[in-house]
Amino acid sequence: MAISRSDFLARIRDAVAAGNRAGVGTDIPRRGTIGYQGAGTDPVACFIRELETAGGKPHVADGLEALCACLTGILQGMPGTSILFESPAFLDGDVLAAHLRSLGKQITCIDELPATESRDSFFAADFGVSGVEWLIAETGSIVMATRPGRPRSTSLLPPVHVAIAARTQIMADLFDLFDGSPALPSCLTLITGPSKTGDIELRLVTGVHGPGEVHVVICSWA
Amino acid sequence: MSDYARHEHHDFTGGTAAALRDDGLQAALVRLTSTLMAGNRRGYAALADSNALRDHAKRIKEHALAHLDRYLEQLEASVLRLGGKVHWAEDAADARSIILDIARHSGCKNIVKSKSMTSEEVHLNPALEAAGLDVAETDFGEFIIQLAGERPSHLVAPAVHHTRESVARVLSEHLGERLADDPRSLALTGRRVLREKFRRADMGITGANFAVAETGTIVLITNEGNGRLTTTCPRVHVALMGIEKVIPRLQDLPVFLKLLARAATGQTLSVYTTMITGPRRLGELDGPDEFHLVLLDNGRSRILSSGFRESLQCIRCGACLNACPVYRRIGGHAYGGVYSGPIGSILTPLYDSVEQNPHLPHASSLCGACQAACPVKINIPQMLIGLRELQHQRQANRLEGLAYKMWSAMLRRPWLYRLALRLAGVFLWPLAKNGWLQRLPGPGEGWTSVRDFPAPARRSFRDRWRDL
Repeated sequence: MAISRSDFLARIRDAVAAGNRAGVGTDIPRRGTIGYQGAGTDPVACFIRELETAGGKPHVADGLEALCACLTGILQGMPGTSILFESPAFLDGDVLAAHLRSLGKQITCIDELPATESRDSFFAADFGVSGVEWLIAETGSIVMATRPGRPRSTSLLPPVHVAIAARTQIMADLFDLFDGSPALPSCLTLITGPSKTGDIELRLVTGVHGPGEVHVVICSWA
Repeated sequence: MSDYARHEHHDFTGGTAAALRDDGLQAALVRLTSTLMAGNRRGYAALADSNALRDHAKRIKEHALAHLDRYLEQLEASVLRLGGKVHWAEDAADARSIILDIARHSGCKNIVKSKSMTSEEVHLNPALEAAGLDVAETDFGEFIIQLAGERPSHLVAPAVHHTRESVARVLSEHLGERLADDPRSLALTGRRVLREKFRRADMGITGANFAVAETGTIVLITNEGNGRLTTTCPRVHVALMGIEKVIPRLQDLPVFLKLLARAATGQTLSVYTTMITGPRRLGELDGPDEFHLVLLDNGRSRILSSGFRESLQCIRCGACLNACPVYRRIGGHAYGGVYSGPIGSILTPLYDSVEQNPHLPHASSLCGACQAACPVKINIPQMLIGLRELQHQRQANRLEGLAYKMWSAMLRRPWLYRLALRLAGVFLWPLAKNGWLQRLPGPGEGWTSVRDFPAPARRSFRDRWRDL
């Protein structure tokens, strides 16, 4: 029979008391600025550099037209037709969806998806196109937060993920994301480049589970 | 024998000799450890003040361990508040039966796992399989060694002992088709096979790199994305974690995130850092309906109360393995336990037993490279010495005691010391080859059977000093 909760905790309490040494571990000192790297004077350039280092593909668009052209460049000519689409909050989703359809792709809008059908659509998709919660310049990471209409799967199951972000969504440093203990969603994920493995003779292979291609389009006007 | 190292209490020196003879393993170890160590140095150098950050991380771990009872209760309260369940496992058998009960109760048959050393430690897979459940390891390297019936041989590169040819052989056998030995196509075959497993899975089992007491958040770090899939597709998520993984506050987490990947591989961050806070919420389209957290003691409270508490600060980055001149030659399997390398040489004797693992505290030259590479600066050499002391206290050897008495008597009498040196020179010099004694006569033979001994100099330093 398993140990009871109270016996388990009593044992830990005794072990803590027996092993504690005077002055060790009494409190956590203030971190201050230790470890804060920041993004220098140009967070966009810093993000682009770090994302490229991680094997991701950065793009910058200075207007809606440029954004559409950028999406055309990424998606046209690629094999696969079905797109999981969740619109970034700062853009008109209908306009973007219409543009994606004009490329001859099939769009599944997450907002309109009944919960019972979502699983098959997620597994079948060739592309995931989404907004982001934040970008982190220091590390070149995309931050995705799960909520209704923002599932975990869009940035995970399709072989290609295209993330669209406003310039104002860039945070300089990883520490900034955790400032002031924000309320956490059921799942918060940092994505830093494409899925990677080196398990066979250290040879880098991308796309082993998650997307093998990760594009980030920074909308510099927003 | 304890449950910790069930099948692999083996002959350490034999395992070591076999590893040294294996040319393929030697090449793989050099490639892996030198690449990762170069990454470790580059990673720390890229931080403006890596020393201060590592010290800060250590302070957080010290504090969390000094108040572990309080933080475990806080973690439990946070998880319960989110609608998750918390289970307490005293040992490996407890952990296995708790997880089996969850599977039975929730009607789960198909299990996917993301890499977890803690689940290796409790020998979870054999228990699940014996109960008729389908279990798939989903980290690509772990999947290969699961198919091959082996154990991980490195904390972050579990299949380092495999070549492309052996991976192709293992995977071909499993699928019943001949696969080419090209790393890319092999990995993508793995993706296809495992994607089907994810589609059908009803339970996902993970470990936890960190757990945040304040928020009830479990943090999973992977490069492949299998940790995300394991916590996205199945309807039940079980996280199994050692109690030492808890950290107090969310603001403490980035301190470790900034260090972990840099120490392990030199990456700024691993590809995926996933923070799971409770089960799926109302209106969400994916994620598990049930979240279970299994908190494992399995000897940790014993370590917590001892002088070896610092070993519980380990965040499993593998840097000490890569830095260690012993691991770099013998690889992970020779150590016998679940955890290998310098940190394994501490954890295995402590979790299992000092008596059953007599060689491990000595599988180190005490050079300190492990501590220098460790993101939380664990004083591994000092703890290895501590274990040697423990061995000595428990198995006091009268002959050895006598030898040390004679040694100290000699050191206190300069004339005797000089005489002994001269005699050693006269008798041992003829036995030396290229300045090394490969075989000592009498009781010294035990020592030289696995080591060479430096030959005494023909003229002592003191003699030469006089003539200068």
